[in-house]
Amino acid sequence: MDTQTALQTARLIVEDLSEKVESPETDRLDFYLKDKKNLVVAATGLRVQHLGYLAAITGLDPGAEQEALEVLYHFCTGYVTITLRVNVPKASPSIPTLTDIIPGAEPFERELSEMFGITVSGLRNPAHLYLPDDWAEGDYPLRKDFQLQVQPAQSQTKVN
Amino acid sequence: MQKKMTGEQFTVPIGPQHPALKEPAHFSITVDGEIVTNAFVRLGYAHRGIEKAAEERNWVQTQYLLERICGICSHIHSTAYCLGVEKLAGIEASPRAQAIRVLVAELERIHSHLLWLGVAAHEAGFDTLFMYSWRDRESVMDILEGLSGNRVNYSANLLGGVKCDIDSAQDEAIRKGLEFLKERLKHYLDIVTSDALFLLRTRGIGVMTRNQAEVLGAVGPTARASNVAREIRVEAPYSMYMEIPPIIILETNGDLEARFVVRIKEMIESCRLINEILDYLPPGELTVRVPRRIKPAETIMRVEAPRGELFYFIKSNGTDKPERVRVRTPTICNMTSVVKLAIGSQLADIPVILAGIDPCFSCNDRSVLVDRRGNKACIWTWEELRQYGIRYYYGDRT
Repeated sequence: MDTQTALQTARLIVEDLSEKVESPETDRLDFYLKDKKNLVVAATGLRVQHLGYLAAITGLDPGAEQEALEVLYHFCTGYVTITLRVNVPKASPSIPTLTDIIPGAEPFERELSEMFGITVSGLRNPAHLYLPDDWAEGDYPLRKDFQLQVQPAQSQTKVN
Repeated sequence: MQKKMTGEQFTVPIGPQHPALKEPAHFSITVDGEIVTNAFVRLGYAHRGIEKAAEERNWVQTQYLLERICGICSHIHSTAYCLGVEKLAGIEASPRAQAIRVLVAELERIHSHLLWLGVAAHEAGFDTLFMYSWRDRESVMDILEGLSGNRVNYSANLLGGVKCDIDSAQDEAIRKGLEFLKERLKHYLDIVTSDALFLLRTRGIGVMTRNQAEVLGAVGPTARASNVAREIRVEAPYSMYMEIPPIIILETNGDLEARFVVRIKEMIESCRLINEILDYLPPGELTVRVPRRIKPAETIMRVEAPRGELFYFIKSNGTDKPERVRVRTPTICNMTSVVKLAIGSQLADIPVILAGIDPCFSCNDRSVLVDRRGNKACIWTWEELRQYGIRYYYGDRT
């Protein structure tokens, strides 16, 4: 599938589900989805049309004063990257899982959930992937307001 | 080789620590007799919070940080980052700098694949191949050292160009080294496709069909061994690959043997690319100036690392620090597939199936094996599991 066909097909599938579409680079399309409910529909559409594979899920925290987090789903094929962007309110951060249609989404969703504190509903194994099991609940390292709790350094025995 | 299901299930924890391999991971493998019925993976033992740390550092410091994500494929990380940042800043490195970047990337691919060839052969009990391939790997390490002064973190890239140039003496040294390597690689290709004992461990083992590879999102040589044409250097050529297009290497069987063949053929192809770059090497400056602050924007950079597609998402905010750097390494895609591949295979095949994706992961030191009748439990080291695998297949023949 050449670049133009891929971009046009993506528009046909996702444009109606999004409130705005941007093209930040010639081979990229960013769809700002109206609602997170549209995510599974849009991803299924891209999957069925073989429009790329889910290359990554990126979480973004636009800043501590903002009320929403942003989640980006990147689908790549050839030169083309199609990004589905979903806003998730920080007050009740949750998002549906894509693992039912894309099994490979599991590690990305587990990472998103532990790093940004976004609940991925329907994820079969929501356990930590990277962070330790005893990581404090409510501490989400990739949020901008995350403060690292620095342990006071243990006094070193001087060698003499 | 009896494949009888007894109906009893035991969980074999493998990992997370072992000094011999690259990084740690933990696998929890459920077995019924010899057959693996379920597998889970737990990562994070080497998680260093690099994405968070990148937010605290300026553009130049971040490059040095990202180059240290991986000790094997350090150059490709900094290449992806530099190309991305240059795109954000609206500048382009000179053709000579691009050519040298690609040249180092191809040398790195050879060194990474040779390292893998040794490790995978070792896991399958073929230590002779391990020793020879690592000896030959020294020739490419010497080339890299001569070029950059370093064996692993070459630090060849800069934002806006490269640090090292190639003079006629280096040109000659590279060609000579590659000439030797090419002969050796042809020999290895012959061995992995003809050695009867080795084929017992690789042919038809850990098969991933084309459909599975597509659905599970496998990348790199793992995907290409299953006939999935996923190769960024060909699909979406970046940097110098426009002028010097690589030939995509595909295999159809999707088993471990195919993964060996794909990687060895890729090394031979890399040798050809390097020779072409040396023939072609354009004159010019090595660096261009990059602004200290970069206007707010987002970019995506995808490059072909030795293990598969490496994905970078970089967001700038107008300051001298990145707002967000997201790194998706190829192993995380392949890890999902390996966990699925493990199901239904023999416990004895697990070490080599894991090694088959060239995991930039880790190792699996201590495993608890519960006797299949469930009345005895003993602790196995990784070495014992490996030996068990070798005995299981070769019996008294070794």
